[in-house]
Amino acid sequence: MKQKREHSLEVLLTREQIQTRVAQLGEEITRDYKGAGELVLAAVLRGSVYFAVDLSRHLDLPFILDFIGISSYGRGSAYEGIVRITKDLESNIAHKNVLLLEDILDTGLTLNYLIRNLNTRNPSSLRVCAFLDMPARRIVDIPVDYCGFNLPDLFVVGYGLDYHERYRNLEFVAELQEL
Amino acid sequence: MAVVTISRHFGSGGEFVAQLVAEKMGYLLVNKAIIAKNMRSFGTYDPEMAYFDEKTVKLENGEKNLEMEQRRRNYLEGLHEFFYDMAIRENLVILGRGGQILFRDFPPSLHVKIMAPLQNRLARVSRLYHLDEAASARLISEQDRDREAYLRQVFGCNWLDPELYNLVINTGLTGLEESAAIIVKAAQLKEGAGEVPIQELEERLLEQQENTAAIHDASGTSPHFAHPSEAEFARMLDFYRIKWLYEPKTFPLEWDSEGAVTEAFSPDFYLPDQDLYLELTTQKQKLVWKKNKKIRRLKEIYPEVQIKIIYGRDYRGLLKKYGIEEEGE
Repeated sequence: MKQKREHSLEVLLTREQIQTRVAQLGEEITRDYKGAGELVLAAVLRGSVYFAVDLSRHLDLPFILDFIGISSYGRGSAYEGIVRITKDLESNIAHKNVLLLEDILDTGLTLNYLIRNLNTRNPSSLRVCAFLDMPARRIVDIPVDYCGFNLPDLFVVGYGLDYHERYRNLEFVAELQEL
Repeated sequence: MAVVTISRHFGSGGEFVAQLVAEKMGYLLVNKAIIAKNMRSFGTYDPEMAYFDEKTVKLENGEKNLEMEQRRRNYLEGLHEFFYDMAIRENLVILGRGGQILFRDFPPSLHVKIMAPLQNRLARVSRLYHLDEAASARLISEQDRDREAYLRQVFGCNWLDPELYNLVINTGLTGLEESAAIIVKAAQLKEGAGEVPIQELEERLLEQQENTAAIHDASGTSPHFAHPSEAEFARMLDFYRIKWLYEPKTFPLEWDSEGAVTEAFSPDFYLPDQDLYLELTTQKQKLVWKKNKKIRRLKEIYPEVQIKIIYGRDYRGLLKKYGIEEEGE
């Protein structure tokens, strides 16, 4: 039986840095989508909830806030199976603009699947907004339309990102270091 | 005994012509394999002979590596003694390695240069090694440069000097078998012999050549993973419904002077939808330099190929992200 490890946190992005950048993203998205038709914000559960809520406060245009959840590799019974949607969007996205909100874009495996899946529903546009981007970890290339911060390859927590369900509710982003 | 030396531009078919000539005349073909095999018994074998064989001295920071230079000199002395020793006992067809200079004044000898227009060479190299035109052009240029430099450095001669040769044959205008027949006839005239020896080996040789080319394209699609990390990675790709193939292609990276592949690389995975190769390595960072070197070479020769390396720390990061314990941890 493995011993539970202790961790320390080193702050990488402060609350203020995050709020400033999220506000900028909100303005950018407002500018790009104003008058462009219906917009669905599709936030990927569960990590992007904090980001989606904060971002939506800075949007000055009508939108539908919706959520989508997919099973993750290596956790629970899904380990031996294939990715599946655990909570689907409630909106019909056909002929609507969809903005996928993700907490972190690293390997690109999750978004690759989601993009393929959502594209089959004929949205009029589908773009990606990632709070964090770690291009060094990328396996599958994903076009990123909006990005909060680029980070090097570090294990980070906070602002929605967890480690075994811990640290999600931190208002900052920190590197998790094992002691 | 008689000696035929054949100098060749890379991709001109010179090796094949030499092989045909040796077969038709019943001479011993002295190529890299024969040299390696016989120099061992001759007592002058160097295990790093591939490093010296038809290669010039590379400068390190503008200076010669003196130890390597000494070994190279020993190797060359041994090689030349070996040639002379063999020529006393056997009729030889010597491929490259300055044979036209070493045996310039050897009475029953014929020195031949095989060349071909670049377009013909590009087509042959591209067909034999499954390379695109740009990669074939780079390979031809590298190999020709090495051979030209070798003659200049070792013998102080210009490789293209026509005075070094009895015959210069353009295989762009003369077929390979026709070229071989011309050389055989010329060698017989020089030797003063009459009858042409048996010439029934062309088909078997052609078949042999095709089989050799096919080995370069060898690929295995059966996923017998070499390492548990590859199996885990494949499961992850399956989970996210990413199509993959396991080691579907081998990329030749280095060739010896006779065009045989001496180094190749088979990336672990190919993702057809992304047109991307992935190499997974769980080795420690300080041990991956060889792999990095191979991948740099692959990118040089095949710039159109997209390849990514997933290093040990990236892989362990993935396992951590997905909450998986690493095997053996």
